[in-house]
Amino acid sequence: MATASDSKSLPVRFALYITLLVIIAITFIPLYWMVVAATLPQEEFFTLPPRLLPGTHFLENLQALEARFPYLRSVWNSVFVATVYTVISLFLCALAGFAFAKYEFKYREPLFYFILATLVLPVQIMIIPMYLLMAQFGLLDTHIALILPFLANPVGIFLMRQSMLSIPDSLLDAARIDGASEFQIFYRIALPAMKPMLAALAVILFISQWNAFLYPLVILESEELFTIPLAIERLTGHQRIYFDQIMVAATIAIIPMIVLFLWLQEHFVRGFTNSM
Amino acid sequence: MTSIDLDNVSKVYDPNGEAIEAVSDLDISIQDGEFLVFVGPSGCGKTTTLRAIAGLESITDGSIVFGGEDVTDARPRERGVAMVFQDYALYPHMTVRENIGFGLRLSSGLSEQEIERRVEETTEMLGIEDLLDDQPGELSGGQQQRVALGRAIVRDPSVFLLDEPLSNLDAKLRTDMRKEILRLQQELEVTAIYVTHDQTEAMAMGDRVAIMNHGRLQQIGPPEAVYLDPANKFVAGFLGSPSMNFLEASVESTDGTTTLEADGEFRHELPAGSVASSATEYDRVVVGIRPEDLEIVETGGVPVEVTVVEAMGDENVVYVDLGSTELTARIDSTVRLSRGDRIRIDFDSDDLYLFDPDTEAALETKTAQLTAYREPRQADATNP
Repeated sequence: MATASDSKSLPVRFALYITLLVIIAITFIPLYWMVVAATLPQEEFFTLPPRLLPGTHFLENLQALEARFPYLRSVWNSVFVATVYTVISLFLCALAGFAFAKYEFKYREPLFYFILATLVLPVQIMIIPMYLLMAQFGLLDTHIALILPFLANPVGIFLMRQSMLSIPDSLLDAARIDGASEFQIFYRIALPAMKPMLAALAVILFISQWNAFLYPLVILESEELFTIPLAIERLTGHQRIYFDQIMVAATIAIIPMIVLFLWLQEHFVRGFTNSM
Repeated sequence: MTSIDLDNVSKVYDPNGEAIEAVSDLDISIQDGEFLVFVGPSGCGKTTTLRAIAGLESITDGSIVFGGEDVTDARPRERGVAMVFQDYALYPHMTVRENIGFGLRLSSGLSEQEIERRVEETTEMLGIEDLLDDQPGELSGGQQQRVALGRAIVRDPSVFLLDEPLSNLDAKLRTDMRKEILRLQQELEVTAIYVTHDQTEAMAMGDRVAIMNHGRLQQIGPPEAVYLDPANKFVAGFLGSPSMNFLEASVESTDGTTTLEADGEFRHELPAGSVASSATEYDRVVVGIRPEDLEIVETGGVPVEVTVVEAMGDENVVYVDLGSTELTARIDSTVRLSRGDRIRIDFDSDDLYLFDPDTEAALETKTAQLTAYREPRQADATNP
């Protein structure tokens, strides 16, 4: 079967592949160098020509990092905060998306657009009010304060709603006839049908919480509660920047993300292509 | 099994403050074990009615009674209904086994073993026992339809609702499934309500046919009765394929003879009798005649010009121009005609239908030819 790429002439395809290779290189080289640097002692960082192959110093660098800062604790904190946030937020976004897509209620459209409108507010604007709010609730310097305010994620609600619109109403009616309650319809029919979108959204939500820096910086004070971005920031000392330790920390930081993406990649792509 | 009474059921949608009446004052009694077919064009209110009976749609006015019990406000699961949808509505993430057993697992309280036994029994009845572990996406349209039927009958419902279940199937499969549904309904002796826009399907399947238009019931009765004795011009035109021919004619009564005159050279003298007596009170009437009642004659009749000939194999459908009116005739396939031929067509006065030009109510139909109304099958079953 002829595809779009078959119909392109050879020079066009060649140019296309070269462009893609350049883009891949631009993306991949810094990551590769980060991994290589994590295995080198700091003295070998800036040699010329630069070292291109990994060294053997990874464990030494990791030990030095742990001696200076409880980094693995931060990794656990990040995994905990991002996972709890992702699971609860997925559930709430799916629930809201289902309601907006499949139920008639008063002010449904204005309410949906109001939620969408909150997307234009940059997080910096919300930091001070959110800080004050968390202070009032007595949640400062807790992981709950990192999770709670972002649970109803407008991007998540939007994506879930768009996806839920594609579920035929007859499927929900069939479940009603079969004796399912409205929550059972959501949980047993709509949610399983939304697996690709849930996977895509899980990756988005997880990354957003994993990479969050400014807001956790304002909320958290205790080092033992720090997430990875705060821990890495702490490695940048006043007198000296510990590049070897930062590279180890950064290398470890991307591992869960890669695992998550590899695990969900099939659904991730399908989720986006189906809902957009 | 249960009887169903719809008492003055109305449904008004009010999406933007602008009331739309989808169903208006519907009053129907459906007998125990009867197969009733709702038929009508798109938007006539037939599906809304079915959904209201299922409990998927609330009604604005009136009441719905199942076997003497008012279920107007009951939820679908409290009504003991099963429904088959146009797009089958199988749960895509479940196997055939899980799809069929889903309702039983949710609300029957039966043991897992009993559920399994019932699922297997049902699939055997439908000849789909080999598909139990397949996903709906792996099945053909006909197989999906059988699974949808299985999901409906496994729960042993008191009412079986079918919403255009055959419209996505090809013609051959449609005929097979038609028989299959009738067989199941008779075997299970369940009250069935079937919605379709296909009048052939309606006539072939229903013990009674309810014809709807613009949210109103136009007529209800056994297929032969509504076909031969339509209540109005809409019913007469909707039932039958090709549709009944209509032409407006003026009525002249002189010296005891009544003559109908219309476009072209249409002039037909009515013999003294029932047709004539109903026409004499009017200046103008709408004359209806079914395509199968028109015949080609050598002499007499009305001269017309052939415009299109459709060869159907067993017969030819011929479109002819009578002045500015187009008529359709079903004729024998051995008569060869082609576009532009000038022929003469005639008909029997007994085959004429007359309608009031203003109200469109039937003035004259073939009531006299209605010799035997088909009794509901339930009655047959009790009289072996």
